[in-house]
Amino acid sequence: MEARNLKITGLTELSAGHYLVELENSFSTMPLPGQFVHIKVPPFFLRRPFSIAGGDAEKIRVLFRVAGEGTRALSCMEPGDELNVIGPLGTPFPVREEWKKAFIVAGGTGAAPLLFLSSRLLSEGREALFFYGAREAGHIMFRLLPPGVDFIFTTQDGSYGEKGLVTGPFEKMLRDGLLPDVIYAGGPHGLLKNVAGLSASYRVPAFVTLENRMACGTGLCYGCVTKIRSGDGWDYRRVCKDGPVFDAADIEWEES
Amino acid sequence: MLGLKLGKMDLQSPVIMMSGIFSYGEADLGYLDYSTIGAVVTKTITLEPRQGNPQPRIWEAGSGMLNSIGLQNPGIKDFVSHGIPSLMDRGVRTIVSISGQDSGEILSMMESLSALGVETVEINLSCPNVHRDRPMISQSARLTGQLLRDVKREFGQVFVIAKLSPNVTDISEIAIAAEEGGADGLSMINTVRGLCVDIEGRRIIEGGYSGPPVKPVGLRAVYDVYRKVRVPIIGIGGIEKGRDALEYILAGAYAVGVGSGFFSNPFLTSEICGELKDYMVKNNFRRVTDISGMLNEKNYKTGR
Ligand SMILES: Cc1cc2nc3c(=O)[nH]c(=O)nc-3n(C[C@H](O)[C@H](O)[C@H](O)COP(=O)(O)OP(=O)(O)OC[C@H]3O[C@@H](n4cnc5c(N)ncnc54)[C@H](O)[C@@H]3O)c2cc1C
Ligand SMILES: Cc1cc2nc3c(=O)[nH]c(=O)nc-3n(C[C@H](O)[C@H](O)[C@H](O)COP(=O)(O)O)c2cc1C
Ligand code: FES
Repeated sequence: MEARNLKITGLTELSAGHYLVELENSFSTMPLPGQFVHIKVPPFFLRRPFSIAGGDAEKIRVLFRVAGEGTRALSCMEPGDELNVIGPLGTPFPVREEWKKAFIVAGGTGAAPLLFLSSRLLSEGREALFFYGAREAGHIMFRLLPPGVDFIFTTQDGSYGEKGLVTGPFEKMLRDGLLPDVIYAGGPHGLLKNVAGLSASYRVPAFVTLENRMACGTGLCYGCVTKIRSGDGWDYRRVCKDGPVFDAADIEWEES
Repeated sequence: MLGLKLGKMDLQSPVIMMSGIFSYGEADLGYLDYSTIGAVVTKTITLEPRQGNPQPRIWEAGSGMLNSIGLQNPGIKDFVSHGIPSLMDRGVRTIVSISGQDSGEILSMMESLSALGVETVEINLSCPNVHRDRPMISQSARLTGQLLRDVKREFGQVFVIAKLSPNVTDISEIAIAAEEGGADGLSMINTVRGLCVDIEGRRIIEGGYSGPPVKPVGLRAVYDVYRKVRVPIIGIGGIEKGRDALEYILAGAYAVGVGSGFFSNPFLTSEICGELKDYMVKNNFRRVTDISGMLNEKNYKTGR
């Protein structure tokens, strides 16, 4: 984990309200899929956490949606500006030798770390089928889809792919007996909870990435905790340090 | 130049990482220059384990933040069984923060800690996030004085710092009671009780307010109390840059506490030390403790 001022090398509006920001990677570590960066967006006091949507030794890419004032300010920055960034933070998606075939389920901007993961899996010679759900066609990040990954799209308004929720075709595939070795998911709470339930029913391990409001982002303040099963009960664990990627079976899912 | 003594401890810097900001000191942050930190106050420990408060625990509010962690901690037994994380190899001292409902709980924790050889303890008498329906101990001069008397009677050799809440009519009254009870030092301020309204969710978010907007509240408290007590004051509240620390020291703080400003600025402790040194060189101060309370009151009051 490092803290540095990183130069913005590119900032592109991909579709209405969705942006891709590219930062010069002057960290000495390579980002891994599932990890995030904690960005100071002036003049806001608290940093904003964002998953790393891609990157290598030169670049770190972040995909974000304008969700409030901080992300709006970020969208108004310009190439050449510097951002103070702490990263890479948190646990990456686990990848095991024997997991040859993965299903990836993502909703909205939850797709960001999973696009990164899918290209990584592919480059390691694994198979990935990506279920990508969005509210409407304009919210699908077509320009960021890694070549070679198979996608199944859904939109809630039916403007692209199958109409409905992304868990629809995902569940159908499982029901048809096409079981992967592992499932990875990111997106809204309801989606993740649903994926966790299906992974348990079909006995396929699943790893999901969670979001919570953060202050430190580095495991110091216990602000971002979530309920993780332990013995007969649960403990509060830190999303920023013990996660953000958790085994879906360990999460004590809240009503949603 | 920046070194100072707090009780029996030699601190390499007057900058202290306050409770709740640096966990128990176990983290290894590559970007942090530990030589700029005098001491770390652990996250507050209670007698029994506490799960802490439900989400949301963090809420941005203006240019500060509300927190409602609710003292999540493993309890004193588990804490001492792991041994207290030491940062001594980096020259950083550890102060253990504890909190309890009454003298009985505090004395029981003091016993476990002094058995481990802990020399400096901060008693958090001012957490706004537990038992919101009940007053905090530091909202009563009588309870504050009594608790410190009980502690110091049995643990006279431990350096005891009382951490006070700004949510009182007159903080000097509480500070004096703490000193008379035997407190060896004072930390002020803890967070300011606050509330946000989430209009989408139509709910309230309660918590302790911290960050830049509370700096004038902290400065007021330090300035007022400095004139009435002899024990050292750790000035806390809204420090986000080097200059803020200097303001606290000039107002009467002996050392300064870094809180949520560290989340925003990871280089804060280095910036404070740099700025203090520059100021000392420019104004011919040899030791950082020489600046404490060095206001030119006449100019300050007449504006000349
Ligand atoms: C680990 C992690 C990874 C994330 N990855 C992405 C990503 O890749 N792309 C993306 O668009 N968004 C991502 N988010 C969500 C993103 O952090 C929020 O959308 C953003 O903080 C909103 O800031 P704002 O000022 O625009 O919104 P405001 O609502 O004005 O923010 C107010 C406060 O609430 C916090 N907040 C609001 N929504 C969220 C949220 N969903 N999660 C955490 N904090 C929130 C803000 O950080 C800020 O402190 C991620 C969140 C986490 C925790
Ligand atoms: C997330 C968070 C957790 C805190 N936890 C504690 C705690 O456990 N015990 C305590 O005495 N103070 C706690 N505090 C209060 C700080 O130590 C400090 O007194 C306060 O935040 C004011 O300083 P600041 O404005 O610089 O943040 C906490 C503050 C924050 C922001
Ligand atoms: S945000 Fe501070 S512990 Fe996670």
